[in-house]
Amino acid sequence: MPEVKGWLLDLFEDPQDDVVLYLIAKKGQRYRLHCDFPITFYAMGSNDDLRALWRFLTTQTPRPILHREKRLDVFSKQEETVLAITTQKSVDERPLFEKVAHTFPYLTYADADIQLSLRFAAVTGVYPLAYCHAAFDQDNTLTYIKPLEEAWAILPADIPFRIMSLRPDKDPHHTQPHQLYVDVNKYHFTFNLQPEHGLLINLNSLLIRYDPDLLLTDWGDTWLLPHLIELSQKFNLPLSLNREERKDFHWQKERSYFSYGRIVYRGQQVHLYGRCHIDRCNAVLWDDYELDGVVEACRVTALPLQLSARSSPGTGISSIEILTALREKILVPWQKQQAEMIKPASELYLADQGGLIFQPKIGMHKDVAQIDFVSLYPSIMVNFNISPETILNDPSAKNLVPTLGLGIDNSKIGLVPKALKPLLVKRITLKTELSCIKSWHPLRKSFTRRASALKWLLVTCFGYLGYKNARFGRIEAHQAVTAYARELILRAKEVAETMDFEVIHMYVDALWVRKPGCTSQSDFDELLQKIQEITGVAIALDGIYRWVVFFPSKQNAHRSVPNRYFGVFQDQTLKIRGVAIRRDDTPVFVSQAQMQILNLLVIPPEPADALPEIIRYLKHCLHLLKERKIPLEDLLVNQRLGRKLDAYSTLPAAARAALQLENIGKHLRPGQRITFLFTTDKTGVYAWDLGTPPNPNSIDTAYYQKLLFRAATEILQPWIKDEEDLKRQVLEYEEQLLLPRTPHTHPISHSKNNLPRLANTSSKSSIAKTANIEQQSK
Amino acid sequence: MGRTLSSTTQTFLQEEGALGRFRRALRKSDQLAFDELFNAAQQHISAASYASHLLPFESMLLAMLLEEHKEVTRLRQVVNELLEMHA
Repeated sequence: MPEVKGWLLDLFEDPQDDVVLYLIAKKGQRYRLHCDFPITFYAMGSNDDLRALWRFLTTQTPRPILHREKRLDVFSKQEETVLAITTQKSVDERPLFEKVAHTFPYLTYADADIQLSLRFAAVTGVYPLAYCHAAFDQDNTLTYIKPLEEAWAILPADIPFRIMSLRPDKDPHHTQPHQLYVDVNKYHFTFNLQPEHGLLINLNSLLIRYDPDLLLTDWGDTWLLPHLIELSQKFNLPLSLNREERKDFHWQKERSYFSYGRIVYRGQQVHLYGRCHIDRCNAVLWDDYELDGVVEACRVTALPLQLSARSSPGTGISSIEILTALREKILVPWQKQQAEMIKPASELYLADQGGLIFQPKIGMHKDVAQIDFVSLYPSIMVNFNISPETILNDPSAKNLVPTLGLGIDNSKIGLVPKALKPLLVKRITLKTELSCIKSWHPLRKSFTRRASALKWLLVTCFGYLGYKNARFGRIEAHQAVTAYARELILRAKEVAETMDFEVIHMYVDALWVRKPGCTSQSDFDELLQKIQEITGVAIALDGIYRWVVFFPSKQNAHRSVPNRYFGVFQDQTLKIRGVAIRRDDTPVFVSQAQMQILNLLVIPPEPADALPEIIRYLKHCLHLLKERKIPLEDLLVNQRLGRKLDAYSTLPAAARAALQLENIGKHLRPGQRITFLFTTDKTGVYAWDLGTPPNPNSIDTAYYQKLLFRAATEILQPWIKDEEDLKRQVLEYEEQLLLPRTPHTHPISHSKNNLPRLANTSSKSSIAKTANIEQQSK
Repeated sequence: MGRTLSSTTQTFLQEEGALGRFRRALRKSDQLAFDELFNAAQQHISAASYASHLLPFESMLLAMLLEEHKEVTRLRQVVNELLEMHA
């Protein structure tokens, strides 16, 4: 019987072969295997209802296998008798379940809508991109498969991916590209996008010759692949994007949704079969962790590579929990309906809190150490066994959550800690390894990216514990985590103060402490050790600041804010939080200036000594701005469109720019980003994606000057009186500079009524029409 | 995303806002003292939050007292030092 050792690239359902697997063999070949894969889902309800369901299922074709069994329900905390319904083939499960759920809507279902890759991993142990050993018969039917590596391996074997990179020469959403750059197998090709016929033939021949496993594209989801597929249909020419010939592409529509208080846009997606497509511009957190992180997330979440690349960490953590539940024979609720426990208002008042956030001491502090708990919230969940099923509404329980009237059942390990522990251990191991790897070592980048992917999963796991729609979310468990967190950081504070450290600031899982004479790492070792002993959670020294500045509130200079600070560590690296440079809508011109000011502040032993040089630098910036020598690209502002255009009562700059694009037929959805320039003309903005560059003389230099001063003041607060003071120092030659004055009514105050008659319109077409009229009238 | 109850910071700002009419009717010099009291209380929002008192304004008053007492202690120390210097 043929055998192969290699990596599971892709698996998907197929009406003919049920489940199809693509393997990258260690020896280089690519295999397409298939097998029938039975799927089980469960129904719960009264005996009479389950009997009726049983009778109904016996009439179905193909007839599922039925039996009664007991499974643990984490929310009722007991084993429930359920009706297990097993289809012989994976493809039969969805239609059968839909029929059952429609006919018996009053029953409760579990394990009903789970990703195939998770079910496959739960049964076989083989997850996407796992190194495995498979055997198959003559017609490529899989007979045996076993993992040869765990998802938690720190140094997994390298996957010999064949990667083809496709990239248009220009951003297609900004301007029409003319060329396509293709990189494959160390060769670089440049194809003209015209004539289209030739492009298709050339590209197809490359796809056939190199047969890549992975297509890495720029704007592949939102422009390139849809464009190529359209051309292939238009000219009736083959284009082998899919390896699986009889499958079409899988399209996922664009969508906008709310997450953490803001609207998020996800572009349309094009998934391939037998070959994976990742659009670098549409992949989640690509800039942060690139392919290494995507592969890591794919392995630990057991989601298929293409899906994992485009899924939020929340989906990832949910998948890890589902996989753990499947392995532990715990019911995975289909539609969870879990209400909060009844509690008196006084208890709610105690419980409904987040982490402890102090008000720092405003101003500059020297020789301050920042110490952070390592992955505090996941560590709490793992160390204190916090999971939906372990939380007891019993104030007399043996293990009590600090300050809350909740107990913890420690008789067995909960689902969430079980799911999180290997993830947490892996991240801590990677971080520990990283601290020993030299900066030039080739593994360093990969370890950093993989640790980052794990970090995002761990960051999200706490939120998902409190999210009512999460499969294994329970608000009491979420509240227990924050109660422990508050307790632990207070204990850490008490330890520090007992050892005569001054606590400058505390923020959820971090403390800023100092003590005269403590300036080196070893001076803080004893503190770290004692905190670790008292709390049971690992704590590490983030670094020792030469100096750190905590800023006051922008509204009131006497009030401190917890999350705006910057400082320079002893190794000269900067840590910056909450200032313009960290915001993604700051123009490059402003963020570069702010960065330069920071760099200048770091040079002298006393930051105040850098002021004259900073003033000179700001004058230079203003001179360039006045001379219009700043490239337009550096003045671009990139903002997220918060809602539909017709939902605004007053149009902010981003909406006015979006309206300009609407006029030329480019429709933006809420959550999408829009890039624009501030100008002095009527609308006050110029959308960058209009295609033609704006007149450089129309740039609102006065507005950019304002942004520059605001950003500089933000940083220089401890050393200057206020923004006016800084302006006085910088603008002593303002008259010579002759900067255009800010108009009395800045365009930003435009209301809907001043712009195309949007207030009374609701449809997209009418917006376009009014915008057209506006342009014609110009 | 969201909380069932407003955060202590929100409550603090609401309480401060609710005293807006009181503040307005004060003399300018008294308004400055009033603002200083609230600035002092703001430094202890996290303690008030952790205390989770059902009447948060009581915690705010205590925070004002705390800062006032710190100031009294500091001034007492200065006076003692001056007295010692001139003794």
